Amino acid sequence: MASYSPPLRDMRFVYHELMGCDALTDLPGYEEFTPDLIDPILEEAGKLCADILAPLNRSGDEEGCRLENGVVYTPAGFREAYKLFREGGWTAISCDPDYGGQGLPAAVNVLVEEMICSANLSFGMYPGLSHGAYRALAAHGSEELKRVYLPRLVDGTWTGTMCLTEPHCGTDLGLLRTKAVPQEDGSHRITGTKIFISAGEHDLAENIVHLVLARLPDAPKGSGGISLFLVPKLLPDAEGDPGPRNAVQCASLEHKMGIKASSTCVLNFDEATGWLIGAPHKGLSAMFTMMNAARLAVGVQGLGLAEAAYQGSVAYARERLQGRALSSAKAHDQPADPIIVHPDIRRMLLLQRATVEGCRAMAVWVAKGLDEQERHPDPAVRAESEDFVALMTPVVKALFTDLGFESANLGMQVLGGHGYIREHGMEQHVRDTRIAQIYEGTNGVQALDLVGRKLGAHGGRYLRQFFHPVSAYVERHAGNASMAPFVGPLGKAFGRLQQATAQVAQKGLADPDEAGAAATDYLRLFGLTAMAYLWARMAETAMERAEAGDPDGFYAAKIATARFFMERMLPQSGALFSQVMAGGASMMEFDEAAF
Amino acid sequence: MMAGIETVAVIGAGVMGAAIAAHIANAGTRVLLLDIVPDGATNRNALADGAVARMLKADPAPFMGRKAARLVETGNFEDNLGRLAEADWILEAVIERLDIKQALYAKIDAVRKPGSIVSSNTSTIPLATLVDGMPESFARDFLITHFFNPPRYMRLMELVTGPATRPDAAALVSDYCDRRLGKTVVVAKDTPSFIANRLGVYWLQKSVTEAVARGIPVEAADLLIGKPFGIPKTGVFGLLDLVGLDLMPHVNASLAAALPETDAFHDANRPLPVIETLIAEGYTGRKGRGGFYRLNRVGGAKVKEAVDLSTGAFAPARKPKLEAMSAAGRSPRKLMEHDSTEGRYAAEVMAATLAYAAGLAGEVADSIADIDEAMCLGYAWKEGPFALIDRIGPDWLADRLEAEGQTVPPILALARGRSFYRVENGRLEQLGLDGAYSPVSRPDGVLLLSDIKRATKPILKNGSAALWDIGDGVVCFEFTSKMNAMDDQIMALLGKTLRLVKQDYKALVIHNEGTSFSVGANLGLALFAANIAAWQQIEGLVALGQQTYQDLRNAPFPVVGAPSGMALGGGCEILLHCSAVQAHAETYMGLVEVGVGLIPGWGGCTEMLHRWQSFGKLPKGPMPAPAKVFEILSTATVAKSAAGAKELLFLRPEDGITMNRARLLADAKARALAMVEGYIPPEPRDYVLPGPAGLAAMDMAVQSFRKLGKATAYDEVVSGALAGILSGGDSDPIEVVGEKTLLKLERDRFAGLVRQPGTLARIETMLMTGKPLRN
Repeated sequence: MASYSPPLRDMRFVYHELMGCDALTDLPGYEEFTPDLIDPILEEAGKLCADILAPLNRSGDEEGCRLENGVVYTPAGFREAYKLFREGGWTAISCDPDYGGQGLPAAVNVLVEEMICSANLSFGMYPGLSHGAYRALAAHGSEELKRVYLPRLVDGTWTGTMCLTEPHCGTDLGLLRTKAVPQEDGSHRITGTKIFISAGEHDLAENIVHLVLARLPDAPKGSGGISLFLVPKLLPDAEGDPGPRNAVQCASLEHKMGIKASSTCVLNFDEATGWLIGAPHKGLSAMFTMMNAARLAVGVQGLGLAEAAYQGSVAYARERLQGRALSSAKAHDQPADPIIVHPDIRRMLLLQRATVEGCRAMAVWVAKGLDEQERHPDPAVRAESEDFVALMTPVVKALFTDLGFESANLGMQVLGGHGYIREHGMEQHVRDTRIAQIYEGTNGVQALDLVGRKLGAHGGRYLRQFFHPVSAYVERHAGNASMAPFVGPLGKAFGRLQQATAQVAQKGLADPDEAGAAATDYLRLFGLTAMAYLWARMAETAMERAEAGDPDGFYAAKIATARFFMERMLPQSGALFSQVMAGGASMMEFDEAAF
Repeated sequence: MMAGIETVAVIGAGVMGAAIAAHIANAGTRVLLLDIVPDGATNRNALADGAVARMLKADPAPFMGRKAARLVETGNFEDNLGRLAEADWILEAVIERLDIKQALYAKIDAVRKPGSIVSSNTSTIPLATLVDGMPESFARDFLITHFFNPPRYMRLMELVTGPATRPDAAALVSDYCDRRLGKTVVVAKDTPSFIANRLGVYWLQKSVTEAVARGIPVEAADLLIGKPFGIPKTGVFGLLDLVGLDLMPHVNASLAAALPETDAFHDANRPLPVIETLIAEGYTGRKGRGGFYRLNRVGGAKVKEAVDLSTGAFAPARKPKLEAMSAAGRSPRKLMEHDSTEGRYAAEVMAATLAYAAGLAGEVADSIADIDEAMCLGYAWKEGPFALIDRIGPDWLADRLEAEGQTVPPILALARGRSFYRVENGRLEQLGLDGAYSPVSRPDGVLLLSDIKRATKPILKNGSAALWDIGDGVVCFEFTSKMNAMDDQIMALLGKTLRLVKQDYKALVIHNEGTSFSVGANLGLALFAANIAAWQQIEGLVALGQQTYQDLRNAPFPVVGAPSGMALGGGCEILLHCSAVQAHAETYMGLVEVGVGLIPGWGGCTEMLHRWQSFGKLPKGPMPAPAKVFEILSTATVAKSAAGAKELLFLRPEDGITMNRARLLADAKARALAMVEGYIPPEPRDYVLPGPAGLAAMDMAVQSFRKLGKATAYDEVVSGALAGILSGGDSDPIEVVGEKTLLKLERDRFAGLVRQPGTLARIETMLMTGKPLRN
């Protein structure tokens, strides 16, 4: 049975030592979030995840959700766990204090989210969706809607959903058909079918707030004709208490590969009552304001499951005795050596470790950008941070979830046959993590977002927020011998990324198919280079800190992992570079009939 | 008999008369500008004086420089009538009333010197009518010279002669207008409204009438009757706003009165109540409260509004997304074939206009090329009606007319199965009314790069430039990049060219036929490179540009720059390094890098310092030259003409100016050939510069501008970098500094600035909005 141990030491390293997030207290509204407040929050979150959520992960997967007479029942223990979660204030941590939230920095929230995902991704879906609905409503809802709904979403008595997908349209929302007909009282009647709706119906909360994309009668065709509506499961009365049932029904539950304890619903809206959020026909742009946060959150799911897989892999590799080390026997008192002595097992463990720690650093880096984008007093810094977050969002989402799946898969390989059977929980990680590469915009769409929307925008302005600091870092450490093993490879990869970026931008301008053909490889090249930058900085910080002592060997391990990353992971950038520079002709000239 | 035109009198100091007088002065000719004495005026020359005063402030400026303005002498028609005897050419530009004109001619004829030429700038009255009743001696010296507004900038001049007109008088005026005024002279027949306005007015009227009838909004009409046909984006209604709505009823009425009943114009010229209402309410166009478009202040913000042709009400102007437009792309025929209200509108208007044009062949001019030229130069169409029919397909148009039961004009019938233009043995030929092709003729001495390009293949070529053999051992280097932006490929081909010319040719001309010679370096590329921190690439391009321009200057053969239009930034710097420049009069030079947060880095600072140090009219000492260059460069001053460029030393006193763009290449080539014999490249330059003290003085100047609110915070940074170069850095005023030192200062300061967010924000804003950012 897998157990989960929150990686608090590494989180503190990233938050305080590497990213200097203690300085976030300089931002208005964050004054009180000093280290002595942050660390206990992380500890408490870790306890909740380890003690309450993680033990429900396997059973929740086994039992799944069930639909009976239009009512969805979550697996045993989820209701109690959600009650504890809610009462502990965890639904409110990063919400606006004006609506009962605690207003924690995103840089903290991202770490809490990681732990929740490691412990029990299915469970995390419920508060996760609520938070998305909260953000969209807080940004675009009328004061009246916000007054009724936000406090209840924040304290978790109600949960939220995002209803986008329909049977015939997912990525291309311009094809959407759900209708909204205006009524004389200012409300709308919503009719249509939505599929793949996470947390669409369940028994955890007294009410569910659906945010639904639909078309008004006079809507223009395509994506410029979509509006956003709020449709509650139960219509609140004047006091805001849940009243009569609205005309929205869960028709069925989707049968899925993973996250089985998350209720994924087909929802039928049959002239359900709803209210417009934001301006008519501007629903997609309203959704996009929360998209960055939502995509980062999905990226963190990949990170969380990579961590869980790493922990399971290490535990197994230490315990499992099998064969002898290739050089010579290590555990003479045992019938065989633990498999952790084998180079190939170490390769896999270190790939997982370098992935997890590199992604965690990147997650906090970007989340800190989100905090600065929202709260920095200098508008120029806010604008720069916004550029940075916009640029990094598709990279985080796709890189983390791809690497998360790869890590879970490596975990299964470490465990061998014991990974493939259910007992150790590794196969569940593989199944659970797979969806993160797909939802919230497939990773292919993320790559197109990066090359199509982010690369060329404003003459490449978004790129500046990544390329300038990295370039300056490489220049600054050029003559530093102790940093050479890290900055050397970083500089090389960075040079490749610069060249590839120029080529993708230039070729893509003339032929969009060229940009599309390069997109996925380019995103991975970008992601690896960003990880290399963070690994170099982590090594630098660890070396500095180690001078004051390294009793638990934490810094030594950090530097060693940095070396592994530079030598054994980053070189992929060379292959990716070649793939990008080769262009798309070999794909696009292939005779379609020959497929 | 006169040898040439040395003194001109212009009678009538209205908008056209005054501006024609100004342009004649631009040509270096003395002008007498006369008008009537206003009732009760104390200044009896008030009308002409007022016109000149207004012109000195006007933008775009009718005068090319201060010298030109001094050549205009003002007067009045009562006191100075006798002075008409001094004039070789008397140009009448008074109100369009036959009685007034004829009365005036009688007075002119009484005093003018024998053999002097009299012309009218009339746009509506036939020559035959004007000379009716005048003595034969007058008719012999009389012709129509029809200029377009504004006369300095519009290159078309329609020349109309009568049966009595002396051919040598016509030839003299034609030659003067061509070479001295820079006009393309198109010979028109004595028919109503001549060529451009005859067709142009029909086209405008047809567009408006059909838009009203078919319920096409003005914004949509301006999109449709625009880009796909190579028509400027002002479209139809935008153009009418410029011309003046109130003018149109007069123009239409006079044209209608002059044309036979069978003319298709009458059908297009229907009364339009909505326009009458607009005019009555003061919506006469941009000169009035607005026209079809107006700027309305809504809560402090200016909102562009457009009139609804069916109701007369204004609403915020929209840029409609028309399916017909996106389906058509750049194809006019696809637009005309599009099955939609918009497609049918475009088809009706343009098919009728093109058919009307075809019907005019032979009537208004004998050559279709002349008709095309008139529309291109008079209405800024990218191509004339016949070239446009070739693109659409003469058969397609003829079939359409036939299907609608309309007559197919004879020349269009002749073009069936072929085209109006063809290239035969590298020469452009046009279809004649006899069904035979004949070469499109160019005036004597005109050399066009486009003709050379039709006839030959480039000697060298890459994605951004090409090299052409223009004969007699001279080659022409042409920029071909988008907007003629300077980039690494231009530098590479220029380097190759210099090596080739040294071996195989005598001289090099740098010239192109673009609207702008070059507006400088490719900023989009530079910005992207800066955003991805590709510093080596950027610094490499700066160094390559410097080296290439140095090589250009030091080449052992003459290099003559022949610019027209804007020559800014790197496009100006290349000219600064030429052995000589032969500039079109309408050349606008400037080193405007500070506008995008940079400094001239391809030797511009260095060369300008040298020019002002060698100028000789500045006070002695190391400071005056850097201060002067600093003043010009830190304010991104652009010369508003080639004459203006001489005042700023972007052009040297010995550099030449060509008034007629079509003659520019020939003049540049002649100039280059004249320099070949005994050509010696310039010596390396030495400088004595003020160093830190000079830097401090320039910094103080900027700070005082800052205090006055005339300079921004980032201006101070950019100016500081500029001052750092022009002062010579750390140089000591008693030491001589070589140009290598200055060039290195340019490179270093450029590299420093291009890394600043303030600079990148300026470049980005310039690229996105076309306007400078004042950060």
